[in-house]
Amino acid sequence: MKFGLGVNANESLRHIVKTSIAAETLRFDYLWISDSPVQLYAPVVASVVASETSRIRIGLGLMSCLLHTPNQLSNALTTLSDNHGNRFDLCIGVGDRRQLRRVGIHTGTQKLPLGVLEAKRRIVSHLNDAGIRAKIWLGAQGPKMLRIADGFDGVLLNYSKPEMIAWAIEKARLRRKPTLAIGTYSPSYVHLRPDPSILQMAKVSSTVVALGTAGPILKNFGLHEILRRVRKMADSSPTLEPIVQAVPDDVIEAFSITMKAPNLHEYLTKLKLLGVGQVVFSYPQSYSLTTIRELTRALNY
Amino acid sequence: MRRALLDLGVTSAAPLSRIRGVVSIAKRSDVYGIWLAEDIDSAADVFVQAGIAMRSAPTKRIGIGMTIPLVYNVSTIARASAVLMEMAPNRFRLGLGVGSVRGLARLTVEVRRPCKVLRETSEALRWIYNGETVTLKGECFELDNYLARYRPRFTIPIYLGVRGRALLRFAGRMADGVILSGPIRYVEKAIHILREEATLRRSAGSPRVVFWLPTLVTRNKADRNLARTMAATMIAGTPANVLEMTGISDGAVDVRRTAREQGYDAASEYVTEELLNNFTISGAPEQICEVFQLLAKLGVSEVVFGPPYGREIFRSIREVVRTWESL
Repeated sequence: MKFGLGVNANESLRHIVKTSIAAETLRFDYLWISDSPVQLYAPVVASVVASETSRIRIGLGLMSCLLHTPNQLSNALTTLSDNHGNRFDLCIGVGDRRQLRRVGIHTGTQKLPLGVLEAKRRIVSHLNDAGIRAKIWLGAQGPKMLRIADGFDGVLLNYSKPEMIAWAIEKARLRRKPTLAIGTYSPSYVHLRPDPSILQMAKVSSTVVALGTAGPILKNFGLHEILRRVRKMADSSPTLEPIVQAVPDDVIEAFSITMKAPNLHEYLTKLKLLGVGQVVFSYPQSYSLTTIRELTRALNY
Repeated sequence: MRRALLDLGVTSAAPLSRIRGVVSIAKRSDVYGIWLAEDIDSAADVFVQAGIAMRSAPTKRIGIGMTIPLVYNVSTIARASAVLMEMAPNRFRLGLGVGSVRGLARLTVEVRRPCKVLRETSEALRWIYNGETVTLKGECFELDNYLARYRPRFTIPIYLGVRGRALLRFAGRMADGVILSGPIRYVEKAIHILREEATLRRSAGSPRVVFWLPTLVTRNKADRNLARTMAATMIAGTPANVLEMTGISDGAVDVRRTAREQGYDAASEYVTEELLNNFTISGAPEQICEVFQLLAKLGVSEVVFGPPYGREIFRSIREVVRTWESL
């Protein structure tokens, strides 16, 4: 199993670099740099990180195919690879619809899975022309989007509960392509002793993911009604902090890896049995060197 | 006499080795800054390139000149620029322009009101960098309760690539700087408009003026032919109203028609000496630097050397830089 650390591109560049160096030193396989309309632009951040590290593989994304054109995405990968070597992967998908709406991108009537698949095809074609080797991952949650997964090198699922992951693998028949890598990318806080303020951050991050989750999944796991109410509140507020109180703990559990360090091993064993080959521990696990070290200790249990 | 600052220019389409070479020369000389022109057909990310240049030349100003708001979501321009600003506060400059009509047509993008596009984009960026929650339905973008989570609290100097009167007037009132490109005769008029409009600004001063035209060292007939082809390219892409401002529109008619029908090489046959000297800065390094000095007298704050530099690119750049330093 490969392990990745997701860095939060809301943090200062200095912090991101410090985190990245720590991730490489602590022998993580991947560093994933998120990209959304309200965060720093991942390709430039990735370039800075690549200059300060030498081995760790750097993933960009999820980068939205609605926010960036296929040319822009392949240009970013080409420029990065030309300058820093073939150390980059890209995860594409639709992205958080709520955030996309804030920048004038409305997803309502488009045939999104086909659009994402076409974007992937064009990106790969450009990369092949430029002689760039990079894995292209699909960032997906819902059954419709997951159906196109076998057109990609891998799929990153944005939820953490083993039952939900099993459901996605089964529903989208992800195992029918044996070479398809299956990974998870979730807000995480694996701790030795919990820090309430970081727990709160994990709650905010999981709420962001939950709010962007497709209806069928929420319905299937009984989360639809509660999230419908939270979504309404979220639509009228530019920040999520004030409404997180309304989100129950089972939502946090479904969309984040928040647990005590000794419990991680059992959790990872479950994922491995499901066929998950990469687990990305996303923000707030990268919050500080302490939280990263706590995760490393948990992984070494 | 007031002396302009010398910058080097390079396009995003240039091979990596050329960009590295230009940055390396800038790093080891008195060159003030580097401008990266975004070529929308190139397979490169100009923001990543700017970041790499910034790290490689740690004391130089790095500018993107220009990027086109119609090609990116405004939030992408904001957050890509924010990383560059964070990498090196006070060294990054963002150039915005609406690009050439032909280039945009290839991307099936249409600009109806360029002035409105630049005004709204500049305003939105300033509000975002001020940490405000922005709602704005603009000509080419829409923001609804948008709040950047990277906690910006800075200003990024915005340079506008403008040519026509309306855009010059707007830039005079609003921009931190302008990137002018056009006939040398036009510069004086353009700067006059900018200064006149600058009196209406809330803050004191005029925008900085960066002048960027194809520049190249010519040593033989082949070099001069290249210069003529560059001039033909510029003439074909210059808006008619800009040509009219300079009184050289008649001479440009044949060049424009031939460029349209047969391409730039054929059009270069119609480039007279006068047109060549108005649409390129070419000749020996001493001649190029003389024109740069003349531009400084007219009020230009920064002059940009290159591309296409000349047949031997790095030799040409070094010669111009050395000549400029020795003045």
